[in-house]
Amino acid sequence: METVLSINGLTKTFGRLTAVNNLHLEVKRGQVFGMLGPNGSGKTTTLGMLMGVVNSTSGSFSWFGQPPTSHVRKKIGAVLEHPIFYPYLSGQKNLELMAMIKEAPVANIPKVLELVELKGREHDKYKTYSLGMKQRLAIASALLNDPIVLILDEPTNGLDPMGIAEIREIIKKIAADGKTIILASHLLDEVQKVCTHFAVLKRGNLMHYGPVDDVGKGEEMVEVAAYHDDLGVLLQEFIGSATVKKENNEFLVMMKEGYHSQDLNRFLFDKGIVASHLITKKKTLEKQFLEILAEGQVMNSIKK
Amino acid sequence: MLHLLRIDLKKMTSYRTFWVICGIYFFTLIIGAASGMELLRMLSRLIEGFGQEINIDRIPLYHFPDIWQNLAWTSGLLKMGVAIMVVVSITNEYTYRTIRQNIIDGMSREEFLLSKVYTNLLLSLASMVSVFLIAVVTGLIYSPELDFPYAFTGISFYPAYFLEIFAFLSFALMLGIFVQRSGLTIILLLFSYLIELIVKSNVDNYFPGAIQFFPLESIMNLVPMPFARYVFQEIRDQVTILSIAIAAVWTFLFNYFAYLKLKKSDI
Ligand SMILES: Nc1ncnc2c1ncn2[C@@H]1O[C@H](COP(=O)(O)OP(=O)(O)OP(=O)(O)O)[C@@H](O)[C@H]1O
Ligand SMILES: [Mg+2]
Repeated sequence: METVLSINGLTKTFGRLTAVNNLHLEVKRGQVFGMLGPNGSGKTTTLGMLMGVVNSTSGSFSWFGQPPTSHVRKKIGAVLEHPIFYPYLSGQKNLELMAMIKEAPVANIPKVLELVELKGREHDKYKTYSLGMKQRLAIASALLNDPIVLILDEPTNGLDPMGIAEIREIIKKIAADGKTIILASHLLDEVQKVCTHFAVLKRGNLMHYGPVDDVGKGEEMVEVAAYHDDLGVLLQEFIGSATVKKENNEFLVMMKEGYHSQDLNRFLFDKGIVASHLITKKKTLEKQFLEILAEGQVMNSIKK
Repeated sequence: MLHLLRIDLKKMTSYRTFWVICGIYFFTLIIGAASGMELLRMLSRLIEGFGQEINIDRIPLYHFPDIWQNLAWTSGLLKMGVAIMVVVSITNEYTYRTIRQNIIDGMSREEFLLSKVYTNLLLSLASMVSVFLIAVVTGLIYSPELDFPYAFTGISFYPAYFLEIFAFLSFALMLGIFVQRSGLTIILLLFSYLIELIVKSNVDNYFPGAIQFFPLESIMNLVPMPFARYVFQEIRDQVTILSIAIAAVWTFLFNYFAYLKLKKSDI
C-alpha cells in the first residue's frame, strides 16, 4: 500500500526536555491512525513538526514520498489542539481567508458548514461562538480543501455526547472515502471504534505500533457466575484456565491460549453446573493502552 | 505577490481597529496639511506683534516648490500612526496564534512575512500618494504664480518620503516579530528614538561622521527639516544618494532580521 507519511528518527528537544525522541513511523493510504499517549507525551509536538510549525531538532519525515513543503500542507487538513481563528472575523470570513491560503474553491464553504451543522451561524463573529461551535468550525476548516490527509488533535474536546458521536460518524464517512486520517485522542473507546492502526507514545518515545484489530486477539477472559459453592475451586481445575480471580459475585477466568469460553461452558456442564452468567470479555484498547504504558518497553523502530 | 497581499488585506479589512487607525491617520494628514496656513493666522491673532515682525503671507509655506518638502517632512511625523497599525496587525497574529494556523494551512514562513511586507509597501505607497495629492491641491490654492519647471524642484522628496515610511514600517514589523506583544512593541517603538538619541549623543563627541549611519537617524535624514530656511538658514533641499543608500540598507536588514527570526523559531 502507498505510504502517505514516513517519519525517520524525528526528534525534538526543548532545552533539556526531549519532547519527541527518535520517532519512526509509517502511515499508509486509507489508514485511520490513532496517536495515543498520556498528557505531555509528545503527540502535539509531533504533529506540529509534521505541519511545519515546530522545527525538528533532528530526523526527517516525508509526505507522499516527497520532502515536506508548504505546498504539500495545502492538501492536508489539520487542526492542532485548539481551534485557531481570527476572533473579529465571522466564521464565513475565516473560512474564506483559509480558502485563499489553501487555494481551495470558495464553493466548498457552504458544504463543510452544512456538514458540521453550523449553517445559520456563519455570519456571526467567531468570538461569539460556543466552545463546541468553535470545534465544529475547526473541523469544517480542516475539510475545506477536500484533503487527502486529515490530521485531528483532540477533535472532540468540549463537544457534547451528540457532537462526539457526530464527529465519529464524520470521521468514519471520510475514512470510507479512502482518505487517510491521523487522530490524536484520549478517548480510547472512540479510537477503538474508528481507528485501524494506533501508536502509543510515552515521554516522547514510541511504545507500541500496530493494528487496532490485534488488540482483541490473544488470551480471552471469561466472566462466570453459577449457583455453586465451590465454583472457584472447580474453575481452577479446568485445564484451560490460566488464572482465576473473584470479583464481587463473579469469577474472572483468564484463558490459556487456544481455549475459549465454549470450552469452559462445556466443562461446567459436564460437572453438572449450569452457569447463570457467562461473558467473553475482549480486551479493550484502554486496557491494552494501560498495559503498554506500564510495561515501559521502548520500541525504537518498527517492522515495515 | 497580489495573492499574498490579498490574504493580508482580507485579515485587515473586516477589522474595525484597522479602519479606526487608518481613518485617524489619513484624516490627520489631510487636516494637518490643509490647516497650516490657518494655524499661522491664528498665531498672529493670538500673539501680539507676531504678524508684524514676520509677515505671514510672505512665508511661502504652501507655495510651489517649498510645499513639496514642507509637507513631506511634516507628514513624516505622523508615520508612528501607521506603524502602530502594523504592530497591531503582526502582534495579533501571535496573540491569536493565527500565524500558527496560517502555516499549518499551507503558507510558508517566507510567504507569511512577504504578505506583511507587501501590506507595508501598500501603506507606504498610499501615504506617499495622499501626501502628494494634498501637496498638489494646496499648492495650487496658495501659490500666487506657477513657475515651471522651478515649481517642481524638491519633488524627489516623494520617493524619499515613501522610503521613509516603508523603512519605519519595516522596523515596526521586525520589532513586532521579535517582541510579539502589542503593548510592549509600541512602547519599544517609542523608546527606540530615546535609546538612539542617548547612544548618538555619546558617539557625537568622538565620531560625528557616524551619526548619519544610525537606523532611525537615517530614516529621519531622508527628508530633512525644511523650516529653518524661513529664518535664512542653509538647508538641504535635495535628496542625497547616500541618505537613500543608508536607509535602504537598514530597511533590507530590518526585513532580513525578521525573516531570520521567523525562520528559526517554533510557532
Ligand atoms: N514550546 C514549548 N516549549 C517548551 N516545552 C514544550 C513546548 N511545547 C511542548 N513542550 C513540552 O513537550 C512535551 C510534549 O508536549 P505535547 O504538547 O506534544 O504533548 P501532548 O502529547 O500533545 O499532550 P496532551 O495530551 O496534553 O495534549 C511536554 O512535556 C511539554 O511540556
Ligand atoms: Mg496535545
